[in-house]
Amino acid sequence: MSAPLPLVAEGLVAGYGAAEQILKGASLCVRPGEIVTIIGPNGAGKSTFLKAVAGLVRLSGGRITVAGQDVTARDATGRARAGLAFVPQEANVFGRLTVAENLSVSGFLDPAATARRVEEQYARYPMLAVKRRALARTLSGGQRQILAMAMGLMSAPSLILLDEPTAGLSPRAADELFEAVIALNRDGLPVLMVEQHAVEALEISHRGYVLVSGRNSAEGPGPALARDPEIRRLFLGG
Amino acid sequence: MDALLQALVNGLLSGSLIAVPAVGFTALFAILRYPSFAVAGYVSVGAFAGWWVNTRFGLGAAPALVMAFIAGGLSGLACEMGALRRLMPSGALTVSIASIAVNLVLENILRFVFGNDLRGFDLPILPDLQWGGVFIGVQQLWNLALAVAVVAAVFGFLMFTRFGRAMRAVADNPDLARLKGIDPRRIAAIAVVLGAGLAGAGGVLLGLDTSIDPMTGYRVLLSVFAAAVLGGLGSVPGAVVGALVLGLAEELALLAVPATYRTAVGFAAILLILTFRPRGLLGEKAV
Repeated sequence: MSAPLPLVAEGLVAGYGAAEQILKGASLCVRPGEIVTIIGPNGAGKSTFLKAVAGLVRLSGGRITVAGQDVTARDATGRARAGLAFVPQEANVFGRLTVAENLSVSGFLDPAATARRVEEQYARYPMLAVKRRALARTLSGGQRQILAMAMGLMSAPSLILLDEPTAGLSPRAADELFEAVIALNRDGLPVLMVEQHAVEALEISHRGYVLVSGRNSAEGPGPALARDPEIRRLFLGG
Repeated sequence: MDALLQALVNGLLSGSLIAVPAVGFTALFAILRYPSFAVAGYVSVGAFAGWWVNTRFGLGAAPALVMAFIAGGLSGLACEMGALRRLMPSGALTVSIASIAVNLVLENILRFVFGNDLRGFDLPILPDLQWGGVFIGVQQLWNLALAVAVVAAVFGFLMFTRFGRAMRAVADNPDLARLKGIDPRRIAAIAVVLGAGLAGAGGVLLGLDTSIDPMTGYRVLLSVFAAAVLGGLGSVPGAVVGALVLGLAEELALLAVPATYRTAVGFAAILLILTFRPRGLLGEKAV
């Protein structure tokens, strides 16, 4: 058997409160070095899937392994320790803390490595080094997303989960963010993301999953899914 | 002119005393998200703890402050974890009302143990300094120095330590903090010890200034609350600024109105600030 997969999520069932479950047995896996994108119509449970993997939504069924390690019973902190980094769509930086403080506080679990990893983020994203003393809430939308991603990297994750990273960004900032995701992945980090700019996201993805009503509907290589006429008609607006 | 200068000096000195418990109050609010009126009780507990080591063991002001911080912090931890925290699901207003009850309990425990008499710290009486026509008490100057040292220590903790930063992160965005592996319950416990401890230390400073009794904390509660609201609830620098502004306003108002209206200045300050700048002097837009 080869190295364990960065992520295997099988038959996830989850929802908020007593209402009907949003995820009704959705599954996916992320292989080493992959960018995987989840697409689907509104309310399909894409973000819920990501949050369930991160430990922010309680599972009532299913099993999650990270690098071969079963983390199903762990909370969000336990899953962060296991190597998952979840970058939320909104409120993903500490607005009243400086850029430097945002980075160092994100290394809370590993204080010995924090200073070195902050320098790594500055080297990777020089913009953050320039803005290190600025309060995070003064950053532009694109800068904020980069900071949020760099904060995710502070725990030296084995897999990064991005929840609609380009939401609310200008087309140019969105392109830059996709470039950053590609660069990150080229260094070997697997990426699992949910994106509203589905075509662009699938074009840069190794594989994509289509989620409908909380269940898997289709899966395939990213660019192929992006060109599939049926999927274009259903979800991609033409 | 001298009267004005004297009022400014007095305002600065009394404001600095309020600043310490006001920082405690605002730190508690920043993490727990409800205004805890139990700080009045923590102030009194701290005052008696400091007074006890001072009169019983002849220790000076600095050890009394440390003891007050510990006693205030532990009483805060016991009240918060033992009682108030359980009410959290019922909402901030419920916990806030319960904190008034906690204050009454603490106040009466002190009354039961120490009695209702006024008690003074056992420190040498120092003559006032005179500078032109302005009088400054040497003890008051010491109190100012101690207040500055305490607030500076809190700033240092919040700005430069791992747990201080984590505390600010939780205050800013608790959900994101949890994602980063910061346990909000652990941070809340630290914040309670810090906030209630500061209230306790403030009790000693107030006692050094005048005298103490079980109502010491209750008497300054309005000023502490007003200072924190004035500066912006949840903002530590705001609480300091708010306390100094309030101290100055109270003393300056005394130049124009009789001393009986002193308390009214606190209310007037809250009213004015909430009307014209609801988030306070240094407060954030969204609380």
